[in-house]
Amino acid sequence: MRHAVRALHSCVLRRLQVQVQLDLPLKASVTPATRWCRRMFSDEAHATHLDRGEVVARVLDVVKTHPKADPTKVTESASFQDVGLDSLDTVELVMSIEEEFAVAIPDAVADKISSCPEAIEYIASHPSAK
Amino acid sequence: MSAAAIAERRFLQQQRCRILYRKSLKCVLDWAVHRDIFYIEAEKTRLQFEANRDLQNLETIDRLLFEGEARLAKFQHPDPYIVPWCPGGSKYARNPPVPPVIEVVNDFGRESSH
Repeated sequence: MRHAVRALHSCVLRRLQVQVQLDLPLKASVTPATRWCRRMFSDEAHATHLDRGEVVARVLDVVKTHPKADPTKVTESASFQDVGLDSLDTVELVMSIEEEFAVAIPDAVADKISSCPEAIEYIASHPSAK
Repeated sequence: MSAAAIAERRFLQQQRCRILYRKSLKCVLDWAVHRDIFYIEAEKTRLQFEANRDLQNLETIDRLLFEGEARLAKFQHPDPYIVPWCPGGSKYARNPPVPPVIEVVNDFGRESSH
């Protein structure tokens, strides 16, 4: 009796199918800058991208106040080496930028930031930069 | 070894050195929360890195990098500071938005279509 019930049970389950319809809206526009934050978590939903002019002003301020940077050479398109910083100073500067905007940059990405426009681009496209 | 391979190896070593410096500064920042103490300790870390600035031998540099990473692993803070709204932080994904598929119907007990 029990075997028959079990056989019937598995037979019925194999035949039943629940129709699943996913009508979730798909994100249409994915740029390389925003690909890593595609998921619908709070930092993308409540994304507060900063105003670009403000980002530029604050990043250049951080660069100018570095003790080894030459303030006269700091412009929006300068690389950190032009300003007078070597590679370890660049690491310190990227950390100061992280602290200024309260973001956490992954190590691999932070290593590649070596000029003002790259830093400005990263912060401007970060969804939760403050 | 060819010149290109040597240059590639040097580039990777420089990258490893920069990442090691970054991790060690973050470790110092975890331990030395008060900013004036942090600046003193960060300066000491920088001097340790500057002492080995002009090395040329690839094997020596590799060995020093391994030793540095081992020393850093011993100094890790048990409760490091992570920015709260970034991955790993306490506020990350705290209030994810409800997908628009889900709809809340308030009919206040009228039991219309249950």
